[in-house]
Amino acid sequence: MRKAIRAFHVPMSAVLTSVAALLLLSCSKQPEADNGTLKVAFGKDNTAFVSLDPFQVWWIEHRIVLRNVAESLTDQDPATGAIIPWLAKSWEISPDGLEYTFTLRDDVTFSNGSKFDASAVKTAFDADKALVEKLPTVFGATYLSGYDHADILDDHRIRLVLARPNGGFLQATSTTNLAILAPESYARSPEERSRGAIIGTGPFTLERYTPEVGLTLVKRKGYGWPSRVVKNPGEAKVERIEVSYIAEDTVRNGKFLQGSVDIIWPRAPFPDADLNLLKQGGATIESRSLPGPSLNLFPNTRNGRTLSDPVVRQAVQKAIDRPSYARTVYNPDFPVVEGPFDKTTPYFRSQKAKLVYDPAGAERLLDGAGWKKGTDGFRSKDGKRLVLRINSQTDTPGNVLLQDQLRKVGIDVQIVVLVPGEYAAAIKAGKYDLTGSYMTRGDPVILQTILDPRYSRGSALATNAFTPDLLKKAQHLFDAGLITSDPAKRAEAYGALQDLLIDQSIAFPVYERIWQAALSKNVKGFAWTAEGFASFNDLEIKR
Amino acid sequence: MTILAPISTGSADRQALFLGSAALDLTAIAGAGRPSSGWTLAGRVRDALNPLLRRPGFAIALSFLLLVLVAALAPGLLTGVAPYATSPADKLLSPSAAHWFGTDELGRDLYSRMVHGSALSVKAALLAVGIALVSGLSLGVLSGFIGGRVDAVVMRFVDVLLALPGLLLALAIVTAIGFGTIPVAIAVGIGIVPGFARTTRAEVLRVKTLPYVEAARLGGASWTRTLLRHVLPNSWGPVAVLATLDIGAAIIATAGLSFLGFGAAPPAAEWGTLISNGRNFLMTAPWLSLVPGLFVMLVVFSLNHVARTLDEGR
Amino acid sequence: MKQYLLSRIGQALLVLWGAYTITYFILYLLPGDPLTIMLTASGVEVDSLSPAQLAQARAAYGLDKGVLEQYFSLLANFLHGDFGQSLVRGEAVSTLIAARLPSTLSLAGLAVLLSVVIGVGFAYVASLVRWRPLRTVLNRLPSLGFSVPGFWIGLLFIQLFAFTLGWLPSTGDEGFESLILPAVTLAIPSSAVYAQILIRSFGDVWKEPYMVTALAKGLTRGQAQARHGFRNAALPVLTLVGLQVGNTVSGAVLVETVFSRTGIGQLAQESVLRQDIPVVLAIVALSAAAFVVVNLIVDLLYPALDPRITHRPKVT
Repeated sequence: MRKAIRAFHVPMSAVLTSVAALLLLSCSKQPEADNGTLKVAFGKDNTAFVSLDPFQVWWIEHRIVLRNVAESLTDQDPATGAIIPWLAKSWEISPDGLEYTFTLRDDVTFSNGSKFDASAVKTAFDADKALVEKLPTVFGATYLSGYDHADILDDHRIRLVLARPNGGFLQATSTTNLAILAPESYARSPEERSRGAIIGTGPFTLERYTPEVGLTLVKRKGYGWPSRVVKNPGEAKVERIEVSYIAEDTVRNGKFLQGSVDIIWPRAPFPDADLNLLKQGGATIESRSLPGPSLNLFPNTRNGRTLSDPVVRQAVQKAIDRPSYARTVYNPDFPVVEGPFDKTTPYFRSQKAKLVYDPAGAERLLDGAGWKKGTDGFRSKDGKRLVLRINSQTDTPGNVLLQDQLRKVGIDVQIVVLVPGEYAAAIKAGKYDLTGSYMTRGDPVILQTILDPRYSRGSALATNAFTPDLLKKAQHLFDAGLITSDPAKRAEAYGALQDLLIDQSIAFPVYERIWQAALSKNVKGFAWTAEGFASFNDLEIKR
Repeated sequence: MTILAPISTGSADRQALFLGSAALDLTAIAGAGRPSSGWTLAGRVRDALNPLLRRPGFAIALSFLLLVLVAALAPGLLTGVAPYATSPADKLLSPSAAHWFGTDELGRDLYSRMVHGSALSVKAALLAVGIALVSGLSLGVLSGFIGGRVDAVVMRFVDVLLALPGLLLALAIVTAIGFGTIPVAIAVGIGIVPGFARTTRAEVLRVKTLPYVEAARLGGASWTRTLLRHVLPNSWGPVAVLATLDIGAAIIATAGLSFLGFGAAPPAAEWGTLISNGRNFLMTAPWLSLVPGLFVMLVVFSLNHVARTLDEGR
Repeated sequence: MKQYLLSRIGQALLVLWGAYTITYFILYLLPGDPLTIMLTASGVEVDSLSPAQLAQARAAYGLDKGVLEQYFSLLANFLHGDFGQSLVRGEAVSTLIAARLPSTLSLAGLAVLLSVVIGVGFAYVASLVRWRPLRTVLNRLPSLGFSVPGFWIGLLFIQLFAFTLGWLPSTGDEGFESLILPAVTLAIPSSAVYAQILIRSFGDVWKEPYMVTALAKGLTRGQAQARHGFRNAALPVLTLVGLQVGNTVSGAVLVETVFSRTGIGQLAQESVLRQDIPVVLAIVALSAAAFVVVNLIVDLLYPALDPRITHRPKVT
């Protein structure tokens, strides 16, 4: 008996020791409190494509971070959308729109000490071009569209030559996507850059990036060349910025209210319940609508699907109650979407009058087109039920509200939730009636990457959105906006395009893509960039 | 979830541990050494239930489960409110006389959504356990009754299933066959097959050696007849208890998958989807997650209670 | 003994191979095409590519071979310890797993420890209680432990202990403190199982005649139960710990999501969704291996715990 008891103790104590050892292992260093450290929490990290390479990354949270590490030839004024000097002091564009000559600042260095000059710019553009040739679908490709080669005129003058006009090119030079990294970064492979081998000229340097966990930015000593929209001309005011990725909303909010993070910045705007809670906790809310398309649903008008009928499309447009959507899903002060673009997009033209909620009008249209309401409240015509399938990757309250709004006029919306792989396949196969898509860029040319089959990387969505005759009209307007850099002509072309998209119900705007960050009362000096990112150079923290 | 298998059934017989399986056969530990109860499928349920119903705990649990069953079969009896009708003006109301469980972020009545969600949740749980029961029972009978090579092959297969982490297996299966209640139920069901196979096998092995079964065989009854008339009915007891327990386990597993985003197609919602959707409001409208969470807890607890009481009553 | 060991190791390898094969074919039969998913993941839709570009990409990812050919080449690499490259993350699978293993191991280690301590402790106390109503309540309490969805309990814990009381950090991978809430969450269902089975085990002990002797010799009830009850309980607990390995991986998927921990569970979930086949395969193989090894060890420990058990050649 005693023997048995002792035998029991041997493995048990072994288990205890090994677990204790494990615990000690996990007891690594505790982060110490530092007044110069600002803590930012985003939502979930991008697990689909792990990359911090400015040219490859579309993930907007990464672009915020990159904006503060890598800089661009030009900047965009968040107030006016105008392109202003940054690393380039000035520039000229040839009348044919094919040659851009930049005069560069001569006082700029990369964080590894190497000089920022014409040859570094050429290295950057050529490396980006090489990557496009290797990987035609890389995200930055549309920004670089048309770029052929660079001529170094002298140490600080460079001419970028395009093979075909690109009306969005000047704006592209202001984006993170065409940020200039040090030649050392381009000597590395694109994969190494993706994992964080990023050396820029910005006010911060990237110290570490652990995918899905977080990253750390450290202040760059001796920095002093921001564009004129940044108030602080010198070094950043905080020493370090710790970014973490927290998937659960309640956990992120809780940490903020507890004071363990200073800024929370989720992808979706705060619902009003959260907003009130955060404001009670002393938070300042910063909001800006993201330039580029608003959140639109795009129809599938091909292969005789229901939405090939313009009358049904129009009825759907009228049946969407946008003010109620903004109020219910987000909050009472949330702006109501006014067109296929967000209001911060250059050449935005409001379509407000055409996007009025008019359920009676929708019912009249459907009745007139022969869709009769049955006893269950849903419409059908010739034995075919009025069903619209929305493909989605997540179950959102917004989609459910939309579903219920359309139900009221007798349209049966079916929300099909799919994993990423199936989602892509279903769009490709045309198995949908409505699907959402968006991109963020401070120039309307970005819509071409969604809706113009010649440029879009998702061509099934682009092709299906238009009936063939409408596609021709739209492409004509896209081209008109692209071949010129004359603001008046571009405004005219893109204005007409926005009219077309709404008049023909090719885009169903649902909500304005507002981006919101909550700042604790210790944080001062938050400033938006034109593309809805932030410049951390003005940020201050007072504890 | 398979780990729940042994709980219901008794003390350890260590020798049974080594009946040739890579993973340990807890159900075998549990099953053997218990006096045979002579439990038959149809006959004695009523007799067995009568004394049990006098226990207040059992009676309460059973009536609660019956109520849930009513909700699943005829939700209209318990609520007249439409579960999917949004009402933006009434969003996030706390529980009151008008909305017993409050309203959600789109102003839908949570009580009505719970009642209507019962149909999906109960269906999913029953389907999962049904699948596990049928395939587990067949595997177990095959294995225990035929023995030899067949036994070895089947039990290795069961070991493989047991070694695969349940939720990962379910995730992979759901991704393979799609989202929604039924795929989730199938995935969960496959995950609990090993428990049934092992329990059944252990029972069949035990019953096979009972004197009257041998007598039946010697008396000239065919194997099929012996199996159907003697072995199966007598192996049924622990399997039934396990099935009751696993309905609860299936509800929990389904809720977990809903949390990861694999639930029913919106706007329909199982209990798990409701708990999971409500979690974003834990600070601002806690009832949205607490009420369905507590409800699921009560359902599963009642199932466990019923199963254990049945087990102890044998 | 040696023969027994060899046959057990053989069985273990067989189970591993089975687990690997089943997982591979489930993943391979998924509806989406891995190439489509990977290209979509990098912001691309496949139909915008020409067939030549597609073929190039397919070859680059090693997806141009047939199902069986891919299976065997992957299996062969596996046997050489090469788990391949993650399709989505562009890193070696072994690097990815190695980076995340410590987090999950410490979580699982603490969870197993806690579940044994809580489960055994609870059962011990519950079995000593003689007042019938309280005893009945205590006997039933463990089933509450596995009647609640783990992710939900985790979220409630965060609200209560992290945000309302401020005792513990809510998320993260840093330090022992951040480990406590997730480990307790993960331990609850298992400890409930231990408690439930041990209450019964202790109850059985009290029916044994030698307990009367023990009490007659002057031991208190607590001492008698400790001495004889624990001995009886050791086997089922050990057995359950072995089985717990599989549940811990499942639990980790949910718990790591709730507590924003970047461990193996979270990696597994993400990888299944992205159809990152090499990563999922490696994780499944790893957890199956852990399961098999732990159970083999448990099995070999039995004779040490109970001299009546020997590993004789099988007699079935």
